[in-house]
Amino acid sequence: MDYAVETIGLTKVFSDWWGRAKVFAVDDLNLQIRHNEVFGLLGPNGSGKTTTLKMLLGLLHPTKGHALLLGGDGSDPKISAHIGFLPEESYLYRFLNARETLDFYGRLFGLSRDVRQMRIEALLDMVGLKAVASRPVGTYSKGMARRIGLAQALINDPDLLILDEPTTGLDPIGTRQIKDLILRLVERGKTILLCSHLLADVEDVCHRIAILYGGKIQAQGRVKELLQQANKRQITTDAVSESAIERIKHILTQERVTFEISSPLERLETFFIHTVAEAQQQAKPTSGAVSTTRIGDFLTGVEPSQSLLDKLVAAPQQPETAPAAPRTDKVAETELPKGQPRKDLLRELAKPTAPDTKPVAPSPVQPSEDKQVSPEQIKKNVLDALTGRSASEQTKRTEKGDGESRDA
Amino acid sequence: MRRIWAVARNTIRQALRMKVAAVFIALLLILLPILGLTVTGDGTLKGRLQTFVSYGFSLTSLLLSFLTIIVSIYTITSDIEHRQIYTVVTKPIRRSHLILGKLLGVIVLDIALLTLFAGIIFGAIMFMPWLLHASPEEIREVDNEFYTARASLVPPEIDVSEETQALYDKLEKNDQLDQIYKGYTRAETLKLLAKQKRLEKRAAVVGQRLLWEFRNVRPLNPNESLFIRFKYDVSVTPPDEQAWGEWYIGDLRQSGPGAENATPVIPILRKDAVRTFREIEVPAAVVAKDGYLAIGFINPPLNETVVIFPLEDGLEVLYKADTFGGNFVRAAVLILCRLVFLACLGTLAGSFLSFPVAILFCLVIFLTGTVSGFVLESFDSLSKNIGVIYTYTVKGLVQLLPQFDKYNPTTFLVPARLITWGFVGKVATLMVAVKALLLLLLALVIFSFRELAKVVI
Repeated sequence: MDYAVETIGLTKVFSDWWGRAKVFAVDDLNLQIRHNEVFGLLGPNGSGKTTTLKMLLGLLHPTKGHALLLGGDGSDPKISAHIGFLPEESYLYRFLNARETLDFYGRLFGLSRDVRQMRIEALLDMVGLKAVASRPVGTYSKGMARRIGLAQALINDPDLLILDEPTTGLDPIGTRQIKDLILRLVERGKTILLCSHLLADVEDVCHRIAILYGGKIQAQGRVKELLQQANKRQITTDAVSESAIERIKHILTQERVTFEISSPLERLETFFIHTVAEAQQQAKPTSGAVSTTRIGDFLTGVEPSQSLLDKLVAAPQQPETAPAAPRTDKVAETELPKGQPRKDLLRELAKPTAPDTKPVAPSPVQPSEDKQVSPEQIKKNVLDALTGRSASEQTKRTEKGDGESRDA
Repeated sequence: MRRIWAVARNTIRQALRMKVAAVFIALLLILLPILGLTVTGDGTLKGRLQTFVSYGFSLTSLLLSFLTIIVSIYTITSDIEHRQIYTVVTKPIRRSHLILGKLLGVIVLDIALLTLFAGIIFGAIMFMPWLLHASPEEIREVDNEFYTARASLVPPEIDVSEETQALYDKLEKNDQLDQIYKGYTRAETLKLLAKQKRLEKRAAVVGQRLLWEFRNVRPLNPNESLFIRFKYDVSVTPPDEQAWGEWYIGDLRQSGPGAENATPVIPILRKDAVRTFREIEVPAAVVAKDGYLAIGFINPPLNETVVIFPLEDGLEVLYKADTFGGNFVRAAVLILCRLVFLACLGTLAGSFLSFPVAILFCLVIFLTGTVSGFVLESFDSLSKNIGVIYTYTVKGLVQLLPQFDKYNPTTFLVPARLITWGFVGKVATLMVAVKALLLLLLALVIFSFRELAKVVI
């Protein structure tokens, strides 16, 4: 089986001026990340996470061992065309504005102008920077820089997304969006390598994790398996009557187990997001997602993106994206070397401008956002096409190894 | 190619928006007009034009050189320092293409700025006579001696090896060698003797006649003028520091007794300041159909001194071979060659040094290059005792230095001397196609294999 990311005996030794080994930053690391999973690389500061990423991406040369991305060398343009990378800080050209930044990276991927423009608008919308897109990114706050950094990592519709501390500097809503985005991308068949020490984030989205310390893997496995307390059970119910509780207590006492009964706490994250969303609704009961220019950076950055992202998350329920473009992103992948099948993608990207707006049926997940949907419907579909990899396409791919059959 | 261009565009934006280039542009935009208004030269229109073109071109060339060095280094080191390189090299672009893109950006910027400033200088030069209400005589003078591109012919070196050998043998026989040339090797003695002999051929005692013959003189237009540019040296300086000269210019082959002259032969008797460049203007029609031209000089009895024409620059023939505009463009191309070289040098330095060190490195090379003649000479003389070692080590490296002083365009524009395309081609080959390319290849290799991330644990 081939892996999306694989390291074989990867070692990085930092030596002093005389060539004497000083520190093993990464020590004989063997990682295997499967296609279409979210893998979390955890560890305290200085445990070798970022060094591993740098070796994967060819920014550092391994002292020993090999690092493979999508079965090849990460610095090979054929491979890196399918990789999105968000470094630990968004290192941006301060003199470019958001649109120019994305345009520059789009050009590095050799995307045609139409594809670039469409993706840039969709991404700016998604990360909520449209209102400030013409300001130099040097003037952005850290969270805004993070958002544009994320957008540049997505501009090529990557198969493998490498995120180094993606949520640092982001407010809780931004963090939630990134987590939702990660889940959404995985549904679309992408692979994500997440590096973080914010454990809550990792716990929410990762399928598997590895914990690094001193450049070595200390623990590895499925999150559920690692965290499950096999000797405990938890029962969550709707509010039940006191008498019912008494009966349950009675049964449990008979079973001779220790137990505790209380109302579960809402997660602070959920509470926060709910509160902010309500505040926004009250301030602008009718204006919807578009009128964001009047409020400050923080909210300007958040508002449009949330609604859009929510729609994005809701989108898998729409079956018709799949039959409409079963091979779209096969085309997107191969367009770089050939330059010609781009038209298909264009057609696909342009499609949602047609009055067919079914895909944005209200999502049960975020009922409060439903009102804001309509002005953004078109963009949502563009974004779907951008990040979209239909489920059927993905299965076909994994079955055949690599789907060679291609629509004309 | 599209990716290279994307990087180039970004580099240009970086230079302009980070105000690196803006400072230099502003400086030039302010200084050039000031220069145009303030330079006076020797007070004549010609002097003014010459000073302006010399200062203007030198200033532009100097500031653009600094700009090129700074931008080409900054664009690479800043990306590494501020780690934008992380997100760039992880995109599907080869590192070599990234470097080429950066270099292309710098060169495009150079071409644009050079065009702009050369245009400003050219415009100012063209407007200056009109602006200063120059008299018709002055205009005639600058038309002939400034707004033109004159080819230059110098007398061919005379073969004096036999005479030198004879003199050497004679001295050796008389045992005078050790007295006069004590401590010299045989080769050095011969060299000195040859120089002495050659100088003898260019010296005239009172009443003596000198003759120079030129072939292949091809003026652009026979109705234009032809100039003899010369410098007298004298054995005894006259009280008024001037010497007489009797000149015959034309096809002297036809001037037999009673012959009908096909082309005019012009006799001139004039007095000129010694040890100063002077010019005699004659119609270009004196040149024979086959391109033959002879110049006869007689040291007239009016003088009481030997008149000598110094070996290097004692005499040359100048004639209009091209327009001023054409020459100006070629002068700008010479500067461009220099800038391309510096861009490659900066790219190399930036590929493995940090910003301040790279700047220092490039400035040292740049300054050495502007005095390369001096550097080469001093190395040559210093290395007398370690000849072999020097030849195989330092000499190669020293030869790799750019020779900006040798190819300085103002030394051509000021005396309105023709810069041939052949000369431009030679400079381009040597400075760009060989030296700059070597630097660039080295930069590509270094940058492709180095680690771009810093060690952080």
